[in-house]
Parts: sequence; structure tokens; C-alpha cells
Amino acid sequence: MKTFKDLQTQWKNQEEVQVPENGAERIMTTLTDIKRKQRLTNGILLTTAVVLICFFFYVSAFKFQTVLIGLLLMIGSLFFRIVLELLSLKKLRSMDPLNRAVEYKRQMIRYYDRRRIIHLVITPLIILTYCVGFWLLLPAFNSSLSAGFYQYIVWSSVVVLLILGFFIGRQIQEELKVLRGLKE
Amino acid sequence: MEKSPAVFQSIYTSNYPKVMRLCLGHVNGDEAMAQELAQETFIKVWENLSSFREEAQVATWVYRITVNTCLLHFRRKKRENTVELSQQLAQPEAEDHLTKQDQITQLYACIDTLRSEQKSIILLELEGIPQKEIAEVMGLTHEAVRVRIHRIKNALTNCVQHENI
Repeated sequence: MKTFKDLQTQWKNQEEVQVPENGAERIMTTLTDIKRKQRLTNGILLTTAVVLICFFFYVSAFKFQTVLIGLLLMIGSLFFRIVLELLSLKKLRSMDPLNRAVEYKRQMIRYYDRRRIIHLVITPLIILTYCVGFWLLLPAFNSSLSAGFYQYIVWSSVVVLLILGFFIGRQIQEELKVLRGLKE
Repeated sequence: MEKSPAVFQSIYTSNYPKVMRLCLGHVNGDEAMAQELAQETFIKVWENLSSFREEAQVATWVYRITVNTCLLHFRRKKRENTVELSQQLAQPEAEDHLTKQDQITQLYACIDTLRSEQKSIILLELEGIPQKEIAEVMGLTHEAVRVRIHRIKNALTNCVQHENI
């Protein structure tokens, strides 16, 4: 018949955990690497924005109303999603790990509740807006591109959408799992 | 506190084993996941070192960061198959023949049946942290911690004795 005292003794007598050699140095280096990666991500996003804006002027999208609306819907929905992600990330990073555990948990539940709204309401609307924008561009593609290339664009966009949908779905599943875990 | 590599090195060396044990307890003994959580904990310690006020104990401060980090372990995928409680209990071996590691694995499996907040509390208790300090880490009153520990101890002891399965 075991008592809690026995369990505590078992716990304390478990194999000694070895402190990794150079562990502290590696932690300090890892943080520098993370910051470097964050700067790289911001750089990539900025470059994408500049390329899209350049493309917008290159094809003189502002001269054709349907093309203009289509492109604006596509670019706008993409940017909206990116801004939303960046704001979420900023919010997550601003959660203070020094808070008392009960308060920290409460904050995390609030955060993931908001993420659920983003995933289940806002994201489908964004994808729909993006698809409408693409659909508005199709006549312009059809009249200015060869039949083969037009077919390629249509079918590849379907494939890209499916792949994107798969990854977004997986991300949603993972975050909902976290929320369930926090609320259990 | 001064944010110097030497100070961090000393905090890391003296607290790593406890942090690692707490993380292992949170993730049912999954060593790879526990190492990731311990690393994430110490990244936060290093990042926030300058904001540490010395009126609290460094260890209490580190435990708080550990508990908060482990709370979000659901974000990570399991790297190894951890032993399920049912598999553990299906072992025909008598209790006396269980090795030290088997017993710890069984204890992990029982801890894993608890809710995350209960896990944090009982792991700190198993480590021998004073209840007042556990209350400080969790943000609960001393009395609330005392009551919860009493209940969790019973549940855990029952689980290990296979009574409530």
C-alpha cells in the first residue's frame, strides 16, 4: 500500500537529470537566431508587398475596373490576413510569462478564443474574398493569355487553394486542440 | 537583476534539473518534448532576467515561468510514444519487481490523468517546494493550494494503487 510520501521519495530518487554542457550558451545563441529569423520574415513580407504593388502598376490595373477590383480584393484579403497574423503574434508575445499561472492561463484562453473566431469566421470570409477577386480576373486572363496558359492558371490556382486549405485546416485543428487543453 | 551571461549560467546550472523534471511530469515523460519546453523556459528566463526583482527567490520566479511554459505543451507534437497508463497497468509484474524507472513511468502516467493546473501543483509538491511558494507560483491563496494538494494527493495515490481504474 503506497502513500504519497512513498511517491515523493520515488520522485526524488529518480535518475539525476544531467545539465547539458554549454546549455546556457546555446540558449543565448538561440535567442539571437530567433530574432534574426523574425527580421528575415518581416523582410520577406515587405518584399512581397512591394512586388504586388509594382505588379499592380505594371499591368496598369487602375485602367480596367474589373481587373482593378479583382486585384484589390486579392491583395487586400492577403494583406488583411497577414496583418491579422502579425497582430496575433504580437499579442501572443506580449503575454507576460512572469504572470501567476492562473492569470496566465486565463489570458491564454482569451487569446485562443479570439483565434477561434479568426479561424472559424474571418478566415473563411478572407478565402472567399480572395476567390471572388481571382474569379473577377479570369475574363482578363482569358482574353490576354493563350488557352493553355489560361488552363494552367485556373487549375494551378485550384491546387494551390487546396494545399493552402489543408495547411490552414491543420493549423486550426492544432490551435483548437490547445484551447481544449487549456479549458479542460 | 543584472542581465549577464555569468548570472544566467548560474541560474541555468542550479535550476535545470528541477525545470526538466517539472516538464517531464507535464508531458508524461516525453524526454524530447520536455527538453524543448525546458529550453523555451530558459529562453524566457534569459529574455526577462533584467526584470527580475530580487525580493522574490530566483527559483520561485523560474518555476513560475516553467509552469506557464508547460501549460502550453499542447502546442507541440509528441516526439516519442509515451507509455499509456492502461499499458502500464496491463503489466503482469508485481509491484516489487518494477524497476525504479518503471515506477517513475507509472507515476508519470498517473500524473498525466490530472488537469494541467493540478499537474503543476502536484509536481511542485513532489519536488518539495513549500506550499506558500506553490501558492505564489500559481496565483492562488495558501489555503486553496492546501485543499487542492490534499485532493490531488488522494487521486494520485489511488491511481498508483490501481484502485480507480
